[in-house]
Amino acid sequence: MNGRRYPAMAGILAIAIIAFIANLSFGASAMSPRSVVAALFAFDPDNYDHFVVLYQRLPRALIAVFLGAVMACGGAVLQGLTRNPLASPGILGVSSGAMLFVVIAAFLLDVPSQGQGVAAILGGFFGFLNCLLVTRLIVSSKEPHGLAFILSGAVLSMLHGAIANAIMLSSPSRRSDFLSWATGNINHVYVERLRDFWWLGALGLVMLLAMARPLTLITLGRDKAASAGVDVTRITWLSIGAVVVSVSVAVAICGPIGFVGLVTPHIVRPLVGASFRLALPANAVLGAAICLLADLAARSAFAPHVLNTGIMMDLLGGIVFAVIVKRYYLSTSERGAWR
Amino acid sequence: MRETVTTVPVLTCDRLTVAYAPAARPVLNDVSVGFATGRFTALVGPNGCGKSTLIKAIMGFLPHAQGEIALDGTALRNIPRRDLARRIAYLPQENHCPDHISLAELVELGGYARYSLFGGPDERDRSLFADALTTVGLEGLAARPVNDLSGGQRQRAWIAMILAQDTDIILLDEPVNHLDVHFQYSILDLLRALTRCGKTIVAVLHDLNLTAAFADDVVMMRDGRIFAQGRTADTISAESVRDVFDFDADVFARGGRLVCLPAHAPQAPA
Repeated sequence: MNGRRYPAMAGILAIAIIAFIANLSFGASAMSPRSVVAALFAFDPDNYDHFVVLYQRLPRALIAVFLGAVMACGGAVLQGLTRNPLASPGILGVSSGAMLFVVIAAFLLDVPSQGQGVAAILGGFFGFLNCLLVTRLIVSSKEPHGLAFILSGAVLSMLHGAIANAIMLSSPSRRSDFLSWATGNINHVYVERLRDFWWLGALGLVMLLAMARPLTLITLGRDKAASAGVDVTRITWLSIGAVVVSVSVAVAICGPIGFVGLVTPHIVRPLVGASFRLALPANAVLGAAICLLADLAARSAFAPHVLNTGIMMDLLGGIVFAVIVKRYYLSTSERGAWR
Repeated sequence: MRETVTTVPVLTCDRLTVAYAPAARPVLNDVSVGFATGRFTALVGPNGCGKSTLIKAIMGFLPHAQGEIALDGTALRNIPRRDLARRIAYLPQENHCPDHISLAELVELGGYARYSLFGGPDERDRSLFADALTTVGLEGLAARPVNDLSGGQRQRAWIAMILAQDTDIILLDEPVNHLDVHFQYSILDLLRALTRCGKTIVAVLHDLNLTAAFADDVVMMRDGRIFAQGRTADTISAESVRDVFDFDADVFARGGRLVCLPAHAPQAPA
């Protein structure tokens, strides 16, 4: 099994590279992978194709890479910490909290674009803590395990979303600017937020990678991890902080695009294992590939109409979500892994 | 034969009282006990007497503990988790491994307290891991997922992880439960062999015959208190078994080893 892991990792990387080139090649006008590579490495300012690749498609592709990497790692870590296969940033209130705060900042407080990014981070924490609080109110157990946590998150996500929608609806003149973002979309107009905040997401991922071993130990049980030398409380909160910050930045850029964070870890685990030292890089790369492909599909499936990436992702993700629920909650031959 | 071994307690509990909630009835009541260096101590007693609680309290998992627990005279609560993990390893009663973690990965995690932030195992660690797998008889299975192993192999995998932690004290909560008689003996044999390298072993055991066969010392507990403690041969007797377990037993030496059987043999099946 170990022996298969590095080839699997290489395969995932190859898929991501192909997805990246394909994402840059296809669009309103298709161009050869060769000219895409030329645009990236030998940019000719007079070449129209090169211009399209570098200033129109590359920002989208970079946003997709950032979104996928951050969401997939966030999902993997939250699934490990809660020991629940349904945990993900989109379900535990992080994405919806970030969205709500961006809308409040933009519509009610007239905060400029960069400030909205900061609002997203605050909102991500707000959303997650809300989710924790509601779970504590429902169940007496202190450990945020199981379905109660997921259900509180799902309900709160709806609530956050509903409030955000109500605020947007109250301001007809501006809501059209936000409508596409609020349903989750990869769009090059928000690339300056990626430029301003990408380092926060990268910092979050590096932090998670540095905590890969203790995070894996925590999936063996809190007592077991503590006895092996892990400061469980500190690692838990540091990693949740890293996830919330990086996911909130992604939401500030592309709105609440959820399912990649839920689904990617389930694909990665059988391929490279559940040990985070390999699983986190694999999640980052595969999450990026999935977002690149979903973005490509959204742009080309109904050409010349361009679909929102978020809608595309929800369509795919809904199906996979049902499969995961069936496998982990409705199957009779459940294994001990997630109890 | 083992008189040469030093018997200075390395780990001590002084007047330890533990409850699971601030106002609840204590599950451990005024427990004072010391575990000697290089000896195998068994904790025995009826269900719910506080054996597991004592081990969890020593590990610092129970917030409502009063009294002093000390390692080489230093209060345990002043020792950071990471430093503590280099001295004491712990095997919980129930162990669950997520799917898709290999035996090699599990064992490598055992050495976590020795790794630097982005670093990993060095040459010495790797040979330690190989030795640990050989010791528990799982060499050659390193690449297998832990959850694909049989029940007995899985228990030995967790023990290999603890050996990889390379501590001088090992606390085990019912390490041979769910194992067949062959592995009960081989694991306890292994633990006793470790005491010859100077390691201190404390294990919760249920079977008095296994206790008599392997433990140097025994701590008998009842109702959250220590009933008796001392050398196994001096401590386990028909009287102490009756008082601790409410059970009439015949305890006798056979072939230089203590044997404990029910005094009133159950009626043989027809």
